[in-house]
Amino acid sequence: MAERSSALLLQLLAATAALVGPAAASAQSDAASGTSVSYRHGDYDEDRLEPAPLDGSDRRYRVRTDQFQLNTELGDSDQLSVGLVHEAMSGSSPWFSFPDADGDALQVMSGATIRDTRHEVSAAWSRDRGDAGSIGASASYSAEDDYHAAALGLDWQRPLSAAIDLGLGASFSHDIIDPTDAAEFDRIDRAIKNTWSAFGSLTFVLDRSSQLQAGMQLTHANGYLSDPYKRYYAGDRILSDARPDQRTQGALLLRWRRAFVEQDGALHLDYRLAGDSWGVRSHTVEASWYQSLPHAFRIVPGLRWYSQGAASFYAPFSAAGTVGTYHSSDYRLAANGSVSASIDVRQRLGAWEWVIGIERLRAHDALGFGGEPDPGRVSYTQIQAGFDYHFE
Amino acid sequence: MSGLLIRHQFRAMGCPCSIQLEHPDARLADAAIAAAIGQVERLDRKYSHYRDDSLLADWCASAGSGRVFELDAESAALFDLAALLHAQSGGLFDITAGALTRLWDRPQQTLPEPTEIDAARACIGWQHLSWQRPLLRLALAGLRLDLGGLVKEYAADRAAQACIELGIAAGVVELGGDVRVMGPHLDGSPWRIGIRHPRAAGTLARIDVREGGLATSGDYERALIVDGRRYSHIVDPRSGWPIQSYASVSVRAASCLAAGAAATLAMLLGVQAGTGYLRELGLPHLTVDLDGVVGGEL
Repeated sequence: MAERSSALLLQLLAATAALVGPAAASAQSDAASGTSVSYRHGDYDEDRLEPAPLDGSDRRYRVRTDQFQLNTELGDSDQLSVGLVHEAMSGSSPWFSFPDADGDALQVMSGATIRDTRHEVSAAWSRDRGDAGSIGASASYSAEDDYHAAALGLDWQRPLSAAIDLGLGASFSHDIIDPTDAAEFDRIDRAIKNTWSAFGSLTFVLDRSSQLQAGMQLTHANGYLSDPYKRYYAGDRILSDARPDQRTQGALLLRWRRAFVEQDGALHLDYRLAGDSWGVRSHTVEASWYQSLPHAFRIVPGLRWYSQGAASFYAPFSAAGTVGTYHSSDYRLAANGSVSASIDVRQRLGAWEWVIGIERLRAHDALGFGGEPDPGRVSYTQIQAGFDYHFE
Repeated sequence: MSGLLIRHQFRAMGCPCSIQLEHPDARLADAAIAAAIGQVERLDRKYSHYRDDSLLADWCASAGSGRVFELDAESAALFDLAALLHAQSGGLFDITAGALTRLWDRPQQTLPEPTEIDAARACIGWQHLSWQRPLLRLALAGLRLDLGGLVKEYAADRAAQACIELGIAAGVVELGGDVRVMGPHLDGSPWRIGIRHPRAAGTLARIDVREGGLATSGDYERALIVDGRRYSHIVDPRSGWPIQSYASVSVRAASCLAAGAAATLAMLLGVQAGTGYLRELGLPHLTVDLDGVVGGEL
């Protein structure tokens, strides 16, 4: 029976294949992306400090990044990507703040220029399981002179109906902090930080030209969460940065995508609300427009607003010298805000695609809430350029 | 980035047709739609038995004249497929039965006279066809070929292929209920295809298809209803009368052509033999019999 049934079908498929080819295979091979390699060079350059620091260099961080990635298919449904990152960092960073005669904060920068390099290797695998959705796993390892991090991630996605997709994921990172010049500057010798994260999302296809994704992320970190290089001015004492050894963060995410047929473009609008157990709250609103142009050009201008309230234990300094268990003058924990504008241009030329992008972010004190701005707030310019090559 | 859905509706081969494509480049999608419709029109011009300027009409006009045609590769492959289906169906699938199908495909709601049926039956038979690839000769005067049950399904595949060749990965071609899916929506989700209920208004089932062909053969298409009795357009070449079979048969296969051939054969074989054939074939299928009983699974 089985032999006869397969013979009947094989005869039919052979006779029809003479006309339409091995149909399923032709559609699959077209949808398949094959193997591609990409390279990006990035230059991240922080503005000089204004007003000038009380002491130390006003030349802030500059990071040059070279990034390689290889994406390839394993069989019909598996994708593997491998990435390498090399980063060279130089410049100085805010050390602590000091009150001037009026009680305003003046920044003290780290004296010597820091030079460090970071290397990262990462791999990600995903499997498309057809109607059952997709699964993926990733792993990465990053190493600097004073910081090592190993991370693992899992994600899972499946359609709940033709119009709704469910996505779930989890990740874990184990970091080892090994500060330089520990004895000289009264820094910890070595410390560990563990971070767990879980996220879930629902993507709704609203109609054929728009979709909405609603997501939630929960992150919990424990271990050494202070910054060993930052200090805190308290009266006549300069103390180490001291933060709680637990931090729980939650974030809600809304992403709306809409394609515009007439304009041959698409609008992306994102909103993120985040809060954590240290009292930091933030709002991010991002808008970008994807415009396709003749000659396979695509141009993507974008705007982003960011607004943050300070952590409960943040203060630029304690003039009176009174301190609680936790204290930090890290500008990243202060009330702060920024506006960023960016533009990306790319063009596909056969198997090649080149891309160039620039982003300018400017700190805006008025966008921060729930506290004073920190003098260490940062503005930066970032340029990225590179290419993708798709093997046939 | 989600793509742009472009939907185009048109009429071809006597049926309402549609093409839906999803691609970020609207110009490319428009070009693909034009190429797809071009394929449908090309095949209609080549194989329509309604037109007198088709290649098929030339073959029919030569019947009994002794003229031999050297067929192009596409036509030869269609004849090979027709020969296979003729063998698989024990002679029920017969492209030489054009005189009969033409007789029953009538605008007036009356039955043909028994003498007309007998006259048509005298003009059919695979034995009157000389087919030795690539040479074709229609030996019997009055023999008419009918590639119905193959051409529309094949056209859906060719239209989809035309889009795929232009770089479209997500799209659906539907020609009068026969469907070819190029690939899933750009977000990976399948296309939801409705199968028409053979009796009631509305759909019998909605199935999710990511890729491949889905064809339906039903007795409601171009059916003749006389004195409350339904006569389908699918005719048994042995008796000369429309078959009493399923109300509809839907089959899924890698191509619309394979799906359509299987659905047509099952319809011709009738409920008992057709169910056995579909089961042996092993392709996903959904049948509705004349009592409305649904069988199989898509």
